[in-house]
Amino acid sequence: MAPRKLTVVISQSPGKNPVKRELEEEIATQLMLAGCCEVSLIPNLYDLPADHHGLLWLRSISGDLVVLSWLYERAARWTLDRNGISGLEGVTQLPKEEEDSTEEPADTPRGIGSVRKTNRHIYVMDLRQHHEAAVYLEEIQRIAREAVPPPTLVPLEISFGKPEALPAETVAQVPAAMEFKLPLGFPGMTPVASETAVAAPVTDPRRRWYPVIDYSRCTNCMECIDFCLFGVYGVDQLDRILVEEQDNCKRGCPACSRVCPANAIIFPEHKTAAIAGAPTAAAGDFKIDLSKLFGAPSALELAAQERDTELVADGRDAVGLSVGIPKRQSAQAEQPKDDLDNLMDALDDLEL
Amino acid sequence: MPVPLQFMMGEYQALIPIDRRYFRNHMWFQMSPEANTGRVGLTSYAIRLLQDVYFLDWTIDPQTQVVLKQEIGEIESSKAVSSIFAPAAGLIHDFNPALMQDPSLINGDNYSTGWMFHFETQVETMSAEEYAAHLSGSWEETQRVLKGQYNA
Repeated sequence: MAPRKLTVVISQSPGKNPVKRELEEEIATQLMLAGCCEVSLIPNLYDLPADHHGLLWLRSISGDLVVLSWLYERAARWTLDRNGISGLEGVTQLPKEEEDSTEEPADTPRGIGSVRKTNRHIYVMDLRQHHEAAVYLEEIQRIAREAVPPPTLVPLEISFGKPEALPAETVAQVPAAMEFKLPLGFPGMTPVASETAVAAPVTDPRRRWYPVIDYSRCTNCMECIDFCLFGVYGVDQLDRILVEEQDNCKRGCPACSRVCPANAIIFPEHKTAAIAGAPTAAAGDFKIDLSKLFGAPSALELAAQERDTELVADGRDAVGLSVGIPKRQSAQAEQPKDDLDNLMDALDDLEL
Repeated sequence: MPVPLQFMMGEYQALIPIDRRYFRNHMWFQMSPEANTGRVGLTSYAIRLLQDVYFLDWTIDPQTQVVLKQEIGEIESSKAVSSIFAPAAGLIHDFNPALMQDPSLINGDNYSTGWMFHFETQVETMSAEEYAAHLSGSWEETQRVLKGQYNA
């Protein structure tokens, strides 16, 4: 039996940006020519409804997976998880942009984790990080070499030789005649050279807007379910928070994300990097942000404003800061610990 | 000239002239009592936190009615970045054209030629004494905010 190949999925940009399309198609074409992986294109991952054939197909894949999308890695990873596609976090080695050199904070908050555990790796890459296909191709081939133990050296040699042998112009004309390695029976997936190969236009799923929970950060504190007055959140049988009615969510409103004390709620399409799932707060550089001292509204005030806007738009009354605002005890943190605090600390240390 | 108040930020002495009013977000307001209008600028306390100002940009047009905490611009300095927020509900008439040419005027002369905009408001403001008390009361918190970010 032939060894299983690495599966590479390219989640396409929702718009019709030609530059993005070109990068997607360049990567797909080169990977197919290299023959190191199974390659598929799906519409924007975040917009797919749960029963979309692209997702059904993704769920059926049990081996290692590389997912390229126009989302932050965290956003893509937890969107997959939400859709029942999970696995161990594959570590990618894409060259970093210069300003990305900040190290991860030592004490990353510990969340409740995903309920699903699968013993394979999912590698996620953000297509906005680099403009050249070559960077991604190199990394995918590295993963392919490491993920799938090569039975022989032959396929690898081919995969290195081909891209150089074919200049870009030639490659661009080849796909129409090529056999795409798309799983059959999934008409929603766009073959690479869509302008030549597909007669029936593939309609993008409609754009969506809903929160994605990063369970590696979520502590199940339930502040989001208290705050959201539109019934987006719910709990599962294990009393774990989940996004239950995602389409109740108000387009453009990221208020619950601002309320979340663990920064675990991602709105992948929000313009603020921290809300869209950027690795850390993404301050850009080492400069401190004085906005708070210079009179910026607090995250809670902003969240309440955003929620009021949506309530009023729905013909309901604005509630301001009167409903579902977490009563945090930060002001008390400075007081000396009493016996009860010591007892709680001792219990925490047991890590039960 | 009347003797200004001062607030000690560690070793640094931030002066607070007593000939004008103050907003909580570290802006001074030199208004004419008849018209409720006047110039607004940053206090020495704010400047000390920012240090050398490199860049200043207004995100609203002149003659804009604003609400408290509305974002009206951005400032970047050697030490910090921040949005600039409306100090109170009111009308922003126009901006200091000299700052557009050279934002470092804010550092050179923050209490006169480094003014930022003409403002009109009915809102209560603080006296120099009240502002000094406000600084004393929030200095601990300010240091916590700064240290929190340095250690992040």
